[in-house]
Amino acid sequence: MALAILAVALVSRSGPGLGWGLAALGGEYAVWFAEQGSALDELTPAYAAAFILVAELGFWSIEPRLEAWSDPELPLRRLAYLVVICGGAAAVAALVLVLAAAGGGGGAVLEALGVAAVIGALALLGVLVRRSASEVDSRA
Amino acid sequence: MTRAATAKLRVYPALAGLGLIGALALGRPELAALAAPFAVFVGVGLALAYRPELRIFVELERERQLEGRHVGVELEVAAASPVERLELLLELPEGLEAEEPNPRLIRLPGGEGRSFEIPLRCAHWGAHDVGQVLWRSGDAFGLVSFEGSSGESTWLKVYPRGEALGDVLRPLETQAFSGNQVARTRGEGIEFADLRPFTPGDRVRRVNWRATARRGAPWVNEAHPERNADVVIFLDTFAEARKAGMGTLDLGVRAAATLATHYLKEKDRVGLVSFGGVLNWLTVSSGMTQLYRIVDSLLDAEIALSYAWKDLDVIPTRTLPPRALVIALSPLLDERAIGALMDLRARGFDLAVLELSPFPFIEEDVSETGQLALRLWRLRRGALRSRYAALGVAIVEWHEGVPIAAVIEEVRGFRRHARVVRA
Repeated sequence: MALAILAVALVSRSGPGLGWGLAALGGEYAVWFAEQGSALDELTPAYAAAFILVAELGFWSIEPRLEAWSDPELPLRRLAYLVVICGGAAAVAALVLVLAAAGGGGGAVLEALGVAAVIGALALLGVLVRRSASEVDSRA
Repeated sequence: MTRAATAKLRVYPALAGLGLIGALALGRPELAALAAPFAVFVGVGLALAYRPELRIFVELERERQLEGRHVGVELEVAAASPVERLELLLELPEGLEAEEPNPRLIRLPGGEGRSFEIPLRCAHWGAHDVGQVLWRSGDAFGLVSFEGSSGESTWLKVYPRGEALGDVLRPLETQAFSGNQVARTRGEGIEFADLRPFTPGDRVRRVNWRATARRGAPWVNEAHPERNADVVIFLDTFAEARKAGMGTLDLGVRAAATLATHYLKEKDRVGLVSFGGVLNWLTVSSGMTQLYRIVDSLLDAEIALSYAWKDLDVIPTRTLPPRALVIALSPLLDERAIGALMDLRARGFDLAVLELSPFPFIEEDVSETGQLALRLWRLRRGALRSRYAALGVAIVEWHEGVPIAAVIEEVRGFRRHARVVRA
């Protein structure tokens, strides 16, 4: 199902469609998790790297095509960035799992702190995204 | 400068939010581990994104060029901080074509500049504004893009290409100054004109000794002097027929440039009248400076639709000197131009009309009615040509693709036996 949505999004070059496809892919992974039981999945960092690789390659595919001469080094640099990003994603995912494992039972307080941290992180992201949205600079 | 968020910037935070909420709801830290990299990616990407400070310079190799030739443009771009992806597009007007890739996608290291040479082909005459560069930059994370334009206007004048012309139209009457035209009058010159009896004051070297020996009294040679002429090129800019980037105005402008070049080379005085919605004129003069004035004026020639009635009275008298040869370049589509040419003939000007045929530039209607209308129109234009011919005006229909030399030869054939008749 997720692959079908991704395929349609790639063919139609739709960014929102790609987002839905990635969300569906994550949802299928979550459903698979729920069936596995409560043990931590040690392959999660690999899945995180692959997930962000799929996302990056998907957005690279649907970028507007421009008939332009380009520096030969640009695609190589972009591939190098991908490798770095995938490695970073795996590291961040591994860190989250380590923290989760170290947290133990947690308790209500810790859980409340976790919820607050998530809400705070999402709010901060929202502010950053909103500030980076379309703006015309009158200086230029 | 405009800053815009890419689709990635909208999707990644949403994915991060969904993953974190899912992790909380289902109690699975693996979902948080999948979502966290997206959140970190966006946070780091936005923190590292910055507005590029670009300096762009455009320099033309030259300011003037002939149609069909090439001009080099040097594009130099520099930035204080590195720009990972920079798209550059040199905005080109219609009439100029880039021979190298345009646009370009480059990476700009910080503190360094890069320069490119873009050869342009001057496909069409005119005054072209070159110098505006459109750019778009993206950061390494692909979250934010910046767009802007830079550069100053630089005008490139592309002159219409001339055609080879062996001989031009000879005017019926010449002027008083020395030139290359053989005058019909008699005086000092090289071309033999006639014999007459010797009168006191004639030079001895002009005595024709053979005639003198036969007649028993001195007879002298008379010659046709070489004089210059005044030529006025009359360009009709009321209306044109146009198709696929070419039209009757292009034919007219190229013919005007060709004729002006040849007449000025022959030491004649040439003027220009661009008669249309916008009226431009140049009084007759000679020399290379006049050629540049004429071609610069031709670059401004354009069809400007106007419903105001205009006749020859709006043109200053000195623009149309007496005894000038007027060569009209007109598609004969507008009544005002047709009337003005007849008025010129009625005022006694030596007039020749090169009719710029509109037929190659119209879309033919294949229906029966369309074909009938086309035939009627051809007949009406033929009748108009007959009216001009009846007035003694040499008029030739000129189709695109026919060399101007052939058309001029046809006009000369009509005028070969022309005589100035005064009532």
